[in-house]
Amino acid sequence: MPPEVVEALSRTNFTWIDTVIIVAYLGASLFIGLAVKKYVRNMTTYIGAGRKVGVWLGVATMLGTEMGLITVMYSAQKGFTGGFAAFHIALIAGVVTLLIGLSGFIVVPLRRLRVLTIPEFYELRFDRKTRVLGGIMLAFGGILNMGLFLKVGSIFIVGVTGLSNTGWALPSVMVGLLVLVLVYTTLGGMISVILTDYVQFVVLSVGLLVATSLAIVQLGWSDIFATVQEVMGETGFNPVAKGSGFGWSYMVWMIITAGLVSCAVWPTSVARALAMESTAAVKRQYCWSSVSFTIRFLIPVFWGICALVYILHAPEGADLRVLFFPEGPTGGGGFDNLYAMPVFMARLMPTVLLGIITAGMIAAFMSTHDSYFLCWSSVITQDIIAPLRKKPLSGAGRVRLTRIIIIIIGAYVLYWGLFYQGKDDIWDYMAVSGAIFFTGALAVLIGGLYWKRASSTGAFAALLTGLTALFGLGPVQQLVGLQYQSPGSDEWIQRLTGAQVGLISVALAFAVLITLSLLFPDRTPRTGRVRPSGLYPEYSK
Amino acid sequence: MTWILFWKIVLVFALTVFAVMAVFVTVLGARDIKKLLTALRHLEDDSAED
Repeated sequence: MPPEVVEALSRTNFTWIDTVIIVAYLGASLFIGLAVKKYVRNMTTYIGAGRKVGVWLGVATMLGTEMGLITVMYSAQKGFTGGFAAFHIALIAGVVTLLIGLSGFIVVPLRRLRVLTIPEFYELRFDRKTRVLGGIMLAFGGILNMGLFLKVGSIFIVGVTGLSNTGWALPSVMVGLLVLVLVYTTLGGMISVILTDYVQFVVLSVGLLVATSLAIVQLGWSDIFATVQEVMGETGFNPVAKGSGFGWSYMVWMIITAGLVSCAVWPTSVARALAMESTAAVKRQYCWSSVSFTIRFLIPVFWGICALVYILHAPEGADLRVLFFPEGPTGGGGFDNLYAMPVFMARLMPTVLLGIITAGMIAAFMSTHDSYFLCWSSVITQDIIAPLRKKPLSGAGRVRLTRIIIIIIGAYVLYWGLFYQGKDDIWDYMAVSGAIFFTGALAVLIGGLYWKRASSTGAFAALLTGLTALFGLGPVQQLVGLQYQSPGSDEWIQRLTGAQVGLISVALAFAVLITLSLLFPDRTPRTGRVRPSGLYPEYSK
Repeated sequence: MTWILFWKIVLVFALTVFAVMAVFVTVLGARDIKKLLTALRHLEDDSAED
């Protein structure tokens, strides 16, 4: 890192008082996480909290899980580069979640079937091989998806605290956080996750609201809008304006990803619905969570906009201007703009408040990690290993196996976060790894729940079609000619954007499901099969 | 209505609703935790449960 960047990053209001606040918060989380270990009795309590979660706790855990530090950083970057036009993502996410809550689309029938995971539904509705394939693709896409969480989390910690990212201090902090999450998730499962999510919700809410209010007071409500207007013009407000970086296909892609998938198909969200005490509670949970799903994008995007205004407009941000905009406000070539929001926070927020906000962001980091660890590990146990074993696994055996897998995934995340030196674009990587799972899952879930003629052959092939999402990744596009270099320039030109590839993949998965279901119907359709006493009674033995 | 005015309304409305919801979730979520722990304490560890 260049010395001028190190110097800029070291100017922070973060002090030992903030460290004490964070340590106290972490201690409380660990204590709560460990205290509920005694309630874990079987797989249903370990990965589904006994299906006894009430509406308000469900809302808290939904925000805790879905508002990860990586979402905050990614959204802040969108605000920094796209201005208020990026607000459309938040609006879409909120409206779609509200519609899911009102209609119960996907989540209510899943909860009614009393499954513990999405692939379990695949077996109930189709067959075992679809379940195992669904489990593999879900775990593969999901674990890859969280590979960069630690790295992006580190950027926030460096930006806020001024810690050097070259010494041992930063890796030690990140390893410490990860170990903490691993300990309470491994021991207490979903009960620990939900209770710590509640604490994290409280800290996160205070942090989000206080930081946003302070940013408005410090920068000036009108000045924020005026600066974006001055720098970006209409493209800073209108998401379909030419040059905004978004457009209609991007917005449709957001309806699917930030809306439908993130609340009704993404396994960690669905796990919250499956842990609720009733289907009525699920619907109320989603209606209220529509506010959380709006806020999870809206506030970080706004922070990114405020960082832009601070750097371009505030006298205190003058030294950052040359770092982030060496060629002027509309030019490129500056320092990684992921750092913009945390550096802005580090300078704007006074001591104590900075500690609370950092604790809130660490809360976001932890609450996403714990849910992801539990979700992917339980899918590997329940939907890949257990169905493939000849001898049934006991309930205690499943809990033990899930705990071991959590630790293995933790080791992978640690390796990926600390030692991986790849040059992938973070957001390409995130979108594509997620799409490997959800493009096929979206078709199979909707087809399986709402179309009687959906067959296991169609479902199996539709899941595999999700792999076409890989064509959205930059290096793959260059390999197959979806990107080409313009003559006399190093610039790569896309024939199809990542959003367009994603939309094609989703359409393809539906087409494959419908065509193959009609061509190869199941001999004995399993529609409407609801198990009264459990498909696998051995779960709880 | 201009885009600027539209986003101003969205921002103020969302922040207000979230602030109110955060209070509800904090208070009623604590009550749900109590109920959850009571229910888990009484959950029988037997195979009748799926």
